[in-house]
Amino acid sequence: MMALQDPDPRAIDGHAPDVFSRDGTVPMRQFSDREEVDFAIVGTGCGGGVLAAKLAEAGFSVVAFDAGAFWWPLSDFASDERAQDKLYWLDPRISEGDDPLEFGQNNSGRSVGGSSVHFQMVALRFRPEWFRSRSLLGYAVDWPVDWREMWHYYDEVERACAISGPVTYPWGPKRHYPYRAHEVNAAGQVLARGAEALGVPWAPTPLATVSAPRGKSPPCVYRGMCKIGCSTNAKQSVLVTYIPRALDAGAEIRDLAMVGRIETDKGRATGVEYHRAGQWRFQRARNVVCAGYSIETPRLLLNSANARQPGGLANSSGTVGRYLMAHLNDAVWGVMDDEIRWYKGPPSMACCEHWNYIDDHPDKDFDGGYSFMSQGPLPTDFARMLVTNEGVFGTELRRQMALYNRMAGLKMVGETIPQADNRVTLADEIDDFGLRRARVTYSYCDNDRRMQRHARDFMARMLGAAGGRDLLETGSTAHLMGGCRMGNDPETSVTDSDGRTWDIPNLWVCDGSLMPTAGGVNPSMTIMANAARIADRITTLAAHGELDRAHG
Amino acid sequence: MVPAQEKSVRHPARNTSSRDWRSAALGIGALAALGGAALLMRRRTRLDPRRKIRQSAAAMGGSILADSAMEHLRGGFHNPAMYAAPALATLSMLGTTGNARAARPVHAAAVAVGAAGLGFHAYNILKRPGGVSWNNLFYAAPIGAPGGLAVTGILGLADAARTRDHGRLLAGFIALATLAEVAEVALLHFRGAWHNPAMVLPVTVPPATAALLLGQALHPRTTTRPLARSALRLMGAMGVIGTGFHIYGVSRNMGGWGNWRQTAFAGPPVPAPSSFTALALAGDAALDLIGGTP
Amino acid sequence: MSGTFHRPYPAWNVLDKWDSPSFNDTTREVLRQRLEEVPGRRFFTADEWPTLVALCDAVLPQDDNPDPVPLANWIDAALFEGRGNGTRHADMPAPPDAWRLGLAALDAEAGARGAADFASLDREERGAVLRDVDAGRLRADWQGMPVRRFFRNLVLAEIVAIYYSHPTGQSEIGFGGPASPRGYVRLQPNRADSWEAPPGKWERT
Ligand SMILES: Cc1cc2nc3c(=O)[nH]c(=O)nc-3n(C[C@H](O)[C@H](O)[C@H](O)COP(=O)(O)OP(=O)(O)OC[C@H]3O[C@@H](n4cnc5c(N)ncnc54)[C@H](O)[C@@H]3O)c2cc1C
Ligand code: SF4
Repeated sequence: MMALQDPDPRAIDGHAPDVFSRDGTVPMRQFSDREEVDFAIVGTGCGGGVLAAKLAEAGFSVVAFDAGAFWWPLSDFASDERAQDKLYWLDPRISEGDDPLEFGQNNSGRSVGGSSVHFQMVALRFRPEWFRSRSLLGYAVDWPVDWREMWHYYDEVERACAISGPVTYPWGPKRHYPYRAHEVNAAGQVLARGAEALGVPWAPTPLATVSAPRGKSPPCVYRGMCKIGCSTNAKQSVLVTYIPRALDAGAEIRDLAMVGRIETDKGRATGVEYHRAGQWRFQRARNVVCAGYSIETPRLLLNSANARQPGGLANSSGTVGRYLMAHLNDAVWGVMDDEIRWYKGPPSMACCEHWNYIDDHPDKDFDGGYSFMSQGPLPTDFARMLVTNEGVFGTELRRQMALYNRMAGLKMVGETIPQADNRVTLADEIDDFGLRRARVTYSYCDNDRRMQRHARDFMARMLGAAGGRDLLETGSTAHLMGGCRMGNDPETSVTDSDGRTWDIPNLWVCDGSLMPTAGGVNPSMTIMANAARIADRITTLAAHGELDRAHG
Repeated sequence: MVPAQEKSVRHPARNTSSRDWRSAALGIGALAALGGAALLMRRRTRLDPRRKIRQSAAAMGGSILADSAMEHLRGGFHNPAMYAAPALATLSMLGTTGNARAARPVHAAAVAVGAAGLGFHAYNILKRPGGVSWNNLFYAAPIGAPGGLAVTGILGLADAARTRDHGRLLAGFIALATLAEVAEVALLHFRGAWHNPAMVLPVTVPPATAALLLGQALHPRTTTRPLARSALRLMGAMGVIGTGFHIYGVSRNMGGWGNWRQTAFAGPPVPAPSSFTALALAGDAALDLIGGTP
Repeated sequence: MSGTFHRPYPAWNVLDKWDSPSFNDTTREVLRQRLEEVPGRRFFTADEWPTLVALCDAVLPQDDNPDPVPLANWIDAALFEGRGNGTRHADMPAPPDAWRLGLAALDAEAGARGAADFASLDREERGAVLRDVDAGRLRADWQGMPVRRFFRNLVLAEIVAIYYSHPTGQSEIGFGGPASPRGYVRLQPNRADSWEAPPGKWERT
């Protein structure tokens, strides 16, 4: 069921794709399977890619695996929604629960660079209080990390990705974006007008696509196809930022290499079994890092169960796979008098974090926060939303779609509450590699539903105030967080604050699955900042000779 | 399996150095060469300052014509008034070649339209959500641009300048016009995140030049005049080099010049830097007048 | 419900930009295949095919398209190639089985309404059956498959994914179409680049 032809592995014979060329390569250091490398990293997205680069730069030997292909964006990415399905993780996950999740293009990438290759580049930070949401705000759990430390690393990754953001950002502590915000498109101005009518602040969205040349990246051309891969290289995905850095520093990237199992011996990880170019191989490693994101990381740990750890690796607490979160992604759409042509520009050029920073308000009947952004879905994306939510078909469907250029929308990114029963387990059926597929159970709780209602009402008011008519509400989810959360208590978390699993001292997690809470903003910057932090922690631990010691 | 290489490898694929030092170095080198040549240039057969002023007005008019035509094309000429700027820039430019007296009304009209343009541009900024915000200052109608047309008109009229006092007045005016231009450049180069280190040149050389020129307007001392003149030549050379940089800047956008219908608009405005050269020329003429040549 | 469809952008065709900087070779090759190499029936049986075609016609009537998008062929191709979308709801059979089951059930629904099969209904009647199915007003045996999910998330979602990623569907709604290396310059309301669809002709809405 994987389908869509993958290319052959390209990071071979001492060379890897030069992502800034159409088909050129750059030299790449390679390691043999027998060589015990310092770090075998599974996944090269926001977590794994950042970690690989920083660990290699710190002098560790690193091999990073990705199940997906190593793309040349300039020549591999067509301006075509259907052909670009190749960027997504299309092998099915079994989805169940009261509010079953959709995967694939909705939240899961499969490429060197991970989901950042097709993410929509919204680059927001957590609100500082969310790192202690239990202690300060009275819901969910605290992170085992201080916000000031995270703030430092947000700075670092925002610089590394040359985030284009506003000169002054209306919410939270000060931040300075390395590049200026882009021109707010017509779709974004709808949000802006609505916000001004309701008297709440708005801002040009900080985005991970450059507004001026940067190195070999030309500025954004506003083609609006970010979600299907940026063929301009303006988008500062992990593929064009940290991956070249990792290669430069001597890391090896193994593309189209699916890791099926982590081997352990006497309570320590010894390496990974992976499938590449038609055969299973085994890479020895002193440390193994799971960075496959919230479904694949738990799945890999569960699939690596052995006689000593029958419930899966690092799962003595039973927490692996649990506390999975998605963002509420409900939206309100309306017909405008103007032609908006929302296909131009990155899809979310204006944002509003108003409800992320409000705690006591008579209207606020939920815990947590949500932000929302202006919208610019590509045609099939919008059509799919219409039909799955409204069941509209026939001439009426064509009529509604014909309003495409006059539509505007507001879509939330809403924080759901971590729940133990929202989780990843293993299904009985197997995939093409013979590995058990993931089964994902997901249900909203009452707080989630109250937030959903609140956001829909508020966004509808705002869109109406901006002149939107014939409003239409749709529901969906976006992003994944949690599934192997970090914490201070081995009984209720999978790893410590360094991403090191409580059970196996040389087995680590470094991706979105670490997140104890979801926050009301898109997660990539938080995942990257956390990975940058973990990389520094590992380097420090190594310097103090503590890398090989167990906890305690 | 390929054996591990001993050394880590360096290669050119980095996107991590965000500043374009190489082109900056090239440009600064070119500026040094051209500026040096300008400085060393013997006072060749002295041009009549009034001819210099006329040339300056023509150069300024050309720059404004090209710039406003392009920018208003970007704006789709959705308001008929948008034809006024390129039209008057053209007329004003032509006016510098013919009968000076007959061209007066044209230049005066250019000043008036330029002043009115400021209003239009301010309105364009204000009507966007956010009002006077960075985003609108960056991307809505450029607030200072119509000023360029007014400067063209004034330079056209200045061809009547004769006396030392006229010269001082002109020097003061050019200094202020230069500073206004610098403000616009600073805004736009800030928008461009100073991604090329050479982008600081037009916000350092011209203010220094303007200061020297202002000095001459207020206290026309002969001791500092050569310095002022040198600064003007450097600024003039910078306008030329700047045009080169902007041409290169356009090519750094996706599709390069082959995609000019997008990149010429999305990239840096090619006609803009030459206005510094025009201002330098007029400044030079002002010094001539102050110095009492012809 | 049905009735005529008014085109806001009658003269617009994204393919007119084939030779412009809005297209690059990668996109041209993808679209060339889409337009020229339409696969034949490989997955569905000859018996199932008319039902599938009738279903596509009911979901996306294309009488006014001189060159209708071959929806059924592309659905067949996706199933034949085993193209997944990353999700399988626990209460749904795998897509190949779901489609087979669903088409058979649609014929049975038609039968329960006195027709020979789904394809022999006229468009109004097909629409009525589909609305019943969507609302869960069933007369045939769907073997426990959640019909709304089948209809919306599988049938409708797949058909619109094919239609609106096709140049025909894109042109119809005034979408800009392929856009690389050239993107867009004019981002303000009611403004368009000369390589976009000219302003739409709107019916009163
Ligand atoms: C359509 C879309 C839009 C988004 N927009 C935004 C946005 O605007 N802003 C934002 O902040 N976030 C956005 N996100 C979310 C963001 O992209 C993710 O949260 C982030 O990329 C997750 O980082 P990660 O490292 O945890 O996982 P990923 O980046 O997904 O990386 C995981 C990688 O691991 C690989 N992998 C998994 N398992 C294995 C295995 N067993 N063997 C080998 N390789 C494996 C996968 O192929 C994948 O490449 C978006 C996501 C999507 C899907
Ligand atoms: S809009 Fe910008 S970031 Fe998005 S695909 Fe186009 S060039 Fe890339």
